[in-house]
Amino acid sequence: MLKHAQPITMSVNSPRPLVGSLGHFSIFLWALVMVLIPTYTKGIILALFTLGVLILLYPAAVKRLARPRWLVIFGVLFLVNLFFGVSDQAPDLTILGLSFSSLNILNSIQMTLRAAVILLAADGLSSSVNIVEVAGLLERSGLRGLGFSIGVATNLLPDLRQSGMNAWHSLRMRGGFRAQWWRGLQLLVVTVFSNALRHAEQIVLAAEVRAFRPELSRKSPLRIGTLDGWLAAGLTILAVVLTLG
Amino acid sequence: MKFTTRELVTMAVFGALWGLVEISLGAVFHAIDLPMTGMTLAIIGVMVACIGRLFVSKRGSTIFIGIIAMVLKLFSIGSAVIGPMVGILAEALIAELVLSAFMKPSLLVFIVASAGASLWTLVQPFVTGVLLFGRNLLMIWLDLLDTGTRLFGIPYQAAVWIVIVLVSVHILAGGIGGWLAWKLGQVLKTRLGGDVPHPVR
Repeated sequence: MLKHAQPITMSVNSPRPLVGSLGHFSIFLWALVMVLIPTYTKGIILALFTLGVLILLYPAAVKRLARPRWLVIFGVLFLVNLFFGVSDQAPDLTILGLSFSSLNILNSIQMTLRAAVILLAADGLSSSVNIVEVAGLLERSGLRGLGFSIGVATNLLPDLRQSGMNAWHSLRMRGGFRAQWWRGLQLLVVTVFSNALRHAEQIVLAAEVRAFRPELSRKSPLRIGTLDGWLAAGLTILAVVLTLG
Repeated sequence: MKFTTRELVTMAVFGALWGLVEISLGAVFHAIDLPMTGMTLAIIGVMVACIGRLFVSKRGSTIFIGIIAMVLKLFSIGSAVIGPMVGILAEALIAELVLSAFMKPSLLVFIVASAGASLWTLVQPFVTGVLLFGRNLLMIWLDLLDTGTRLFGIPYQAAVWIVIVLVSVHILAGGIGGWLAWKLGQVLKTRLGGDVPHPVR
């Protein structure tokens, strides 16, 4: 149900990566800044540049976004901005007998590129960074214990789904949703929640038996890449220079 | 925010339940093109988070549950989930603010929290559409009117009525969700040997 990202465990055989968790997160934030701040012509140039960088970094994410569903969405976004843009400029271009405002054309290109960059950056981040690493990043920003909770939640997902399916099938096979469907639905929800909370009790016991204490636990590990620091600094400078310059 | 092991696990359970709703029910609802999918998912999610608040009566527990659900959604199969992620976080934040504003969880607080989160789904396109996808406000407004026309058969020109009906439906559905969450929470507390809700610490 959840995507497989890169493993975070490292051994002698798996050397330190070039780009780690912080590096990928910096790329994500940089991409957002590059497309959210500048406007019109400058915005298009920067969005194209960002898109190029992201395509080079995350080719797998490009394949996912090249599905017909997303291409249609991008097409609709472009056409809607082209024909119904809010620019006050009178149409100054005629293409195939249709009149357009050049400002609307620029705007629609920029909006489409912006959407593509944001989706690509988000997909690239989620496919390159492990779920525990995201928890580690959030934990370091003050949410203590989040790594542990996310680990528990991730491991619980398949069990919760299975338990829900079992309860659903049990009730359905006994006609639980026919005569008294509302009562049946209530029973289903109560069963799913009760099972989940009982399962939680077992996890708490297991954690306490191992002397786990959130305030003393080690933070979730992060993959530190050799270029992370340079990447974060370089991207920050690049974003400031290109967007504000 | 300092939580004990028990509280962290309990929040993980509720976060996983919210995440599961978003991942599995969300996919089904979108596949069958159910109207107001966002609102339905928001209400179910906030119901889960509100019930979680009954079990972990501490400030910050609802947003914590929301963050867990959001991270699970980020790593679910299927790309481009930035809209739902923003939605989950905003709904959790609204519920957290409402629940934290009152000392003790109650039926009224649950109703307000759930209705607030439900209303957010109406507002979200105006925020994410403009900020993330660069759509202009007019287009989002026209989309909203179109939704009202399609769902309730109100003429396009009666914009004020469309907005009133949409807001009312969101508040009503959210209120029902909050009421259900309260009732369900009480049943669970009784069944699992819990006691009455504690004041917020």
